Amino acid sequence: MWYQIFKFEIQYRIKRPDTYVFFLFLFLFSIVGVDFIFQGSEMGLMKKNSPLVIAKTMGAISGIFMILASMIMGVSVLRDFEYNIESLVFSAPIKKKEYLLGRFLGSFAVLLFVFTGILFGMMLGEFMPWTTPDNLLAFNAFIYLKTFLMVTLPTLFFGAALFFVTGALSRNLVVVYTQGIILFVVYMLTKAISNEFWQAILDPFSLTTTTFATKSWTAIEKSTQELPFIGALLYNKLFWISLGILALIYGYKKFNFNVVKEKRSKREKQQTIASKTSYEVNDVVMPDVQKHFGLLSKLIQLKQFSWFYFISICKQSSFWGIVICGMIIILINSVNLGTVYGVDSYPATYFIVEELQETSIYFFIILLVFYSGELVWKERNAKLNLIYDATPMSSFMKLAGKYIGLNLIYVVLMLALIISGIIFQTLSGYYNYEFQVYFYGFFLEILPSLALYTFIAFFIQSLVNHKFVGVMLVIVFFIANIAMGLFGFDHDIYFFGGSSLGAYSDMNGYGHFLKPYLLIKSYWFLFGMLLLIIASLVSVRGIETNLVKRIRAVKYRLSKPLFRFSGLVLLAFITVGGGIFYNTNVLNEYWTNSEATAFRVAYEKELKSFEYIPQPKIVDVNLQLELYPETRDYTAEGYYILKNTTNERIKSIHIQKRIEGNVTLDSVSFEDGFTTDNQYKKFDYFIYNLNKTLKPGDSINMYFKQSFTTKGFESGNSNVNINNNGTFFNNSDLPRIGYTRKYELNDPDEREDYNLPTRSNKAERDDIRELVNARSGSDSDGINFEMTVGTSEDQTAVVPGNLLTQWTENNRNYFHYKMEIPIINFYSMVSAVYEIKKDKWMPQQDTLGSTVDLEIYYHKGHAYNIDRMMTSMKASLDYYSTNFSPYQYEQLRIMEFPRYAQFAQSFPGTVPFSESIGFVLDIDDEKDVDMAFYVTAHEIAHQWFGMQVEAANVKGRHFILETLSQYAAMMVLKQEYSEEKLLQFLETQKERYKEGKDREALEEPSLALVENQKYVYYAKGAINMYQFQKAIGEEQVNKSLRRFLEDWNTTNGKLKMNTNRYATSQDLLGYFRAVTPDSIHHIVVDLFESFKPVEL
Amino acid sequence: MELRIDNLSKTYSNGIKALQNISLEIPTGMFGLLGPNGAGKSTLMRTIATLQDADSGSIVLGDIDVLQQKNELRQVLGYLPQQFGLYPKISAEVLLNHFAVLKGITNKNERKELVKALLHKTNLYEVRQQNLKGFSGGMKQRFGIAQALLNNPKLLIVDEPTAGLDPVERNRFYNVLSELGEHTAVILSTHIVDDVKELCTNMAIINQGQVCLKGQPLQILEGLKDKVYQKTIGKAELNTYKENYQVISEKLFLGKPTIHILSDENPGDGFSLINAELEDVYFSEIFSNTNAKSN
Repeated sequence: MWYQIFKFEIQYRIKRPDTYVFFLFLFLFSIVGVDFIFQGSEMGLMKKNSPLVIAKTMGAISGIFMILASMIMGVSVLRDFEYNIESLVFSAPIKKKEYLLGRFLGSFAVLLFVFTGILFGMMLGEFMPWTTPDNLLAFNAFIYLKTFLMVTLPTLFFGAALFFVTGALSRNLVVVYTQGIILFVVYMLTKAISNEFWQAILDPFSLTTTTFATKSWTAIEKSTQELPFIGALLYNKLFWISLGILALIYGYKKFNFNVVKEKRSKREKQQTIASKTSYEVNDVVMPDVQKHFGLLSKLIQLKQFSWFYFISICKQSSFWGIVICGMIIILINSVNLGTVYGVDSYPATYFIVEELQETSIYFFIILLVFYSGELVWKERNAKLNLIYDATPMSSFMKLAGKYIGLNLIYVVLMLALIISGIIFQTLSGYYNYEFQVYFYGFFLEILPSLALYTFIAFFIQSLVNHKFVGVMLVIVFFIANIAMGLFGFDHDIYFFGGSSLGAYSDMNGYGHFLKPYLLIKSYWFLFGMLLLIIASLVSVRGIETNLVKRIRAVKYRLSKPLFRFSGLVLLAFITVGGGIFYNTNVLNEYWTNSEATAFRVAYEKELKSFEYIPQPKIVDVNLQLELYPETRDYTAEGYYILKNTTNERIKSIHIQKRIEGNVTLDSVSFEDGFTTDNQYKKFDYFIYNLNKTLKPGDSINMYFKQSFTTKGFESGNSNVNINNNGTFFNNSDLPRIGYTRKYELNDPDEREDYNLPTRSNKAERDDIRELVNARSGSDSDGINFEMTVGTSEDQTAVVPGNLLTQWTENNRNYFHYKMEIPIINFYSMVSAVYEIKKDKWMPQQDTLGSTVDLEIYYHKGHAYNIDRMMTSMKASLDYYSTNFSPYQYEQLRIMEFPRYAQFAQSFPGTVPFSESIGFVLDIDDEKDVDMAFYVTAHEIAHQWFGMQVEAANVKGRHFILETLSQYAAMMVLKQEYSEEKLLQFLETQKERYKEGKDREALEEPSLALVENQKYVYYAKGAINMYQFQKAIGEEQVNKSLRRFLEDWNTTNGKLKMNTNRYATSQDLLGYFRAVTPDSIHHIVVDLFESFKPVEL
Repeated sequence: MELRIDNLSKTYSNGIKALQNISLEIPTGMFGLLGPNGAGKSTLMRTIATLQDADSGSIVLGDIDVLQQKNELRQVLGYLPQQFGLYPKISAEVLLNHFAVLKGITNKNERKELVKALLHKTNLYEVRQQNLKGFSGGMKQRFGIAQALLNNPKLLIVDEPTAGLDPVERNRFYNVLSELGEHTAVILSTHIVDDVKELCTNMAIINQGQVCLKGQPLQILEGLKDKVYQKTIGKAELNTYKENYQVISEKLFLGKPTIHILSDENPGDGFSLINAELEDVYFSEIFSNTNAKSN
C-alpha cells in the first residue's frame, strides 16, 4: 500500500512545474557553483575540481538551498490540508505508517532528483569556456558522485526528515521555512564552539568538517587526495542521519491520523456556544454612513492595509521564531568583535551593529523572500480573494499596504536585534549605547536595501502568479544582481539598489557618503514605486490568471488618479536619475572596468619606454597646503628642488599627475623657462622641455600648484582620504617624476589577454636598475622638508617635522612644520578634530640622543589605550636607541584616522594609526596580548627600518623593513611584558601564516626573496626571527642589526655611500652570519633562505 | 436602479460556452436565478461582480457600464461568492471592520456603529470577538452577508448562499435577506427551487448558458395551471411512461416513483391533476431545454 502512495506522490510531482524549476535552478547555479562559493578567496594550490573543493562547494550549495528542501518536503503532507482533502485521505483504508512512509519516500525521491542538479551542474561547470585547464585536474565523474553521496545525501536526508515532520505536524508552510533558519542558527552556533572536533561533528553542512578532516594535509594532498570517509566526516554524517531518523520517529508518534475529527469536535463546541446565544433580531436600525472614495479615504485604506498585514504576520509564531533566533545569535556570535590579532575590541556600538548586520541578513532575506510570497497570496490562500476583488478598494493601495506591512515587519526584527545588542553591551559592562549608531546601522544601512528588494519581490510575485516559482525568481534576481556587481556593472544608475553606505566611523560619522547614498536610494525607491504600480495593475483581480490577458486589461485598470501619480513618480525618477548622472558622469568621470583596463594597457604600451630614462631626483620639498575639510578640497602650492644626480644631461622632465578626476595640476613651471609637451595628456603625463639643459649635479626649482576639488559625488565608493573629519593622505597624491608602475595592469590573466609581458611584483635581487630605488619608481633619495598647513578652525593638522609656529588667521588654523634633517620622500598629511596627549621621552644616556616630544592625537572618547601607546612609545625608544642606534627626530607622533583603512603606517617621526586597530581594543592583560602596545612598537621600529635604513626595491625588501620591525617590536613586548606574552603573540602569527599559506596560489618564497606575501614577511618572519634570536641570543642579533644600520644608513651609511645603492636581504644576512657561531651556521639558511615552511 | 444585461456571451478557452446571449432585466427587489449545477450561474454572477470579463454583450446598472466602469460598480456592489474562506486567526468584528474600510467607510465612528449594527442583524454580535476559525457554515454565511451589506449596496449578488446549510440556518439567512429594502436589486443564484419560491419577486431559469425562462413566479405558475398531472407508478414502468408522456419529474414518494407529466388535457390512465409548483416549472424548463438539445 505504501508503494501506491509513493507512486502517487511521484506522479503528482512529475506533473508539477516547480519540480523542474527547482532542478533547473540548482543545475544552473551549480555550473558556477565553485566560482560563487570560492569567490574572493584564493584557492591556493587547490584545483577547481579538487575533491576537497567539490566537497566544500556541494556542502555549501546544499546548505544555502536547504530552503528548496523545505519547499519540497514541507508541502507533502501539508498539501492534503491545504486542499481540504484530509478527511478523504485519512478516512481511506490506509495505515498511518503507510501513508507517512509513502509520502516521505516519494517526496524524498523527488528531492534527490532536484538536488542531482548540483551534481550535474558542477560536472558541467568543469567544461565551461571560462575555466582554464591549468586550474583543473582530469575530469572524474566518480569523484562528484561519491562526494554527492557522502556529503550531500546525508545532509539532505536530515533536512528532508526535519522539514517533512514539521510540515506534517505544524501544517503551516512558514513554520517549515523557519526550520531553515534554525538549521542556519545551528550552523552559526557550531562556529562558536572552540573544540575543533566537536565543531566538525556538529556542523550540519560539514564545511568545517572537511576542513578538520584535511587539517594535516599538505597543499598537494589537498589538491588531489580524495576525502576519506572516516573519522570526523563519518561521525558527522552518522550524527545527522540519526538525528533525521529520530525526527521521523518523533513525527510518526506525534502525527495524529484523526486530526480531522479533533478539529471538528472543537468546532462543534464553539458552534453550540454560538447557537445558544443566537436570538432573532428583527429591528436593527442600520446607521446612515457616508462612503468616501477620495484621496483621503485612499490613504486611510492604505493605513488600514499596512497595519492589517503587519498584524497578520505578527500573529505567526514562525515570525517570532525568527526574531528569537536573531536575538540569540548575536549573544553567541558577538563574543569576538573587531578582533585584531586575537584581541577583542570594546563592544562599541558600531562593532555590534556590524556584527548584527552580518548575521541577520539571512533572516531578513528569508522574511523578504517568503513573506512577500505569503502576502501576495494571502487572500487567495484564505479563499477570500473574490470578496476583496469585488470591493472598490484600489489594487495599488492593497499592494502598497502589503509592502508597508512587510517593511514594518523588518522594523520589528531590527528593534529586536537592537535590544539584543544593548543587552549584550550591558552584559559586557559597556554602557555607551549610542542609539543613533544603532538607528543608522539598521534604518539607514539595511532597511533601504530591504525595502528596494521587497519591491522586486512583490513585482515578481504579482507577475508570475505562482508562489514557489516567484520565490525562486526572487532568489535568482538576488544572485544575478550580485553577479552583475562582481562583473563590474555597478554604476549606481543601473546597478539595482546602488552601492552600499560607506563604513561608519566614530571620527567622521557617515561622512560624505550619506547624501549621495540617500539620493541614489530615493532614485531606486522611485523605480520600485513604478514596479509596484505595474505589479498592482497586472496582479490577479477576479478569476483571470492568464498573464497576457492581465496585461491587456491594464488599460481598464489604470485609474486616472493612479495614472497621474505614476506620471509624477516617473518624472521624479527621471529627474533624480538625471541628477545622479550629472554628478557621477558629468561632474565626475566614470570609468567602466573595461575602460580602466584599456587605459592601463595603453599607459603601459605607450609610456613603458620612459621607465628608466635619466630624470632628476626631488631633493627639497617646500609646500603650502590649504585644507578645506568642510568642502573636502585642498590646494597644495610650492616647489620641489630637482637635482640631476645622474651622469647625463637632462633636457626634459617627465611629470605624472595623480590620475584622479578630482585632482588638477593647475600650474607647473621651471626656472629658466620651458616648453610643455602635451602629447601624453590623456595619461596625465606631461613632458617639460627645459630651455636650459640640466647638467649633472645641477639643481632646478619646480613650482607647481595642485588642487583637489570635490565636485558633487561619484558612482560607487568615492575618495576616503580627504574627509570632513580625519583627512589622511600622503605625497603619492602629489605630482611625481616619471613613469609610474602602479598604473600598469596587474592581473596576470588580463595581461596575457592584452599581450603584455608577464610582470613580477618585485625585481630580482641583482636588478641594478632597482637596486638604486628604495621604492617603486622612486623619484627621490631623500629630501629636506618644510610645509605650512592651513585647516579649519576646529581641526589640527599634522605633517612630519618640528612645529615652528602655529597661528589662527581668517578663522583657520595654520601650522608651520620643518624637518631639520633630511627625510625619505614619504610624508603624510593629516587633519582632524583632535584631543592631544603629550609627554616627553628622555634618553637614558646622553649618547643615545636628545629629548623627544611624544604626542598622541586621538578622537575624543577613544582614550582607552592612550596610556598603553604612550608606554610603548617610551619602551620602544628606549630599546631601539639602546640596542640599534639613536632616534633621529625631535618628535614622535601618533595620529588617529578614520577606519576606512585598517592599518598603522610610519612616516618620518609620525605614525597615522587607524581608528579600528588599537584605539578601541578592549585589552585584558590577563588573557590578551597588548596589541595597542605591540602595533605601536612595530610602527616605531620602522623609524629605524624604513627611515634610517632603506631597502632596495627588489625581492626581500619587506624582509628588511617588516620582518625586522616585527623582531624589534617582539623584543620590546618581551621586555615590557614577558616571554609568555610573546609566545602567545607568536601563536597568532602561526594562525596568520597558516591562513596565508592556505590561500597561496604559487610556491611560498623564502624570507630573503619575499615579494608581497604578508604571511611570509609578517608572520613567518616573526616566528623565524624569534627562533633565530633563541638560537644565537638576543644580544647577538641586536649587534648584527646595529652594524647593518650603521653601514647602510640612508644618509650616512658607509656602504650605502660607497655602493650608491640600497641594502638587500643578502647584505642583511651577511650580518646575521657574522654573529652566528659556525656550528649552527646552517640556521641562517634554514630560517631565511630556504623554502622550508614553518612547522605548526 | 435596474440592472440590464444584454446579449452577454462568454466562451472559456477550453471551449465551454458558459454564457450564450444572456439578456435579463433585473429590477430592484429579489431576483432568483435558478439553474442546475454548471448552468453558468456563477459565471454570470462573477461577470456582473466585475471579477470576470465577458466576450461580448453589455451590463448596465443605472448609468454605470459594468464592464468598463468596474470601480464605479464596486462602490455600490455587495457580493457573496459561492465559496469563500475566512482568515482563521482574527475575529469577525476585526475583519468586518477591515472590509468596511475597503468599502470606503472611512469615518471611524460611523464604521463602528455600522459594524455593530450588522453584527446584530446577522446574529453574530455575541461571537464577534471569537476567531473566525471556529465559525460554523451558517455563521460563515451570515458573516458573508454582513460584509456584503457593509456599503449599503444598490446591487447585491449572492451566489448559492444556502448550499450546505441546515434548515434553521437557512431561515436565519433568509430573514436577513428579506429585510433588504426596495432600493436594492438582489440577485440570488441557487439551484434550490424553494429559495426562489419563498423570496423572489422575479426570476429566471438558465441552463447551459442560456435563459430558458424569465418572469414573475406567480405568472409563470399561471402558465402551468391545469397542465400538471401526477401518478405513482411501479419502477419497471418508468420507461414506458417516459416514452408516452412528457415526464417532467420523477421522484420517490415512500419508496415508489411518482411522476409528474405535462399535458394540455387530462390523460386519464390514473393521472390526477395537481397544482403546479415552481419545481414543476423548473423541471419542465430544464427538461424541454435538454430535450431540445438532444434532438
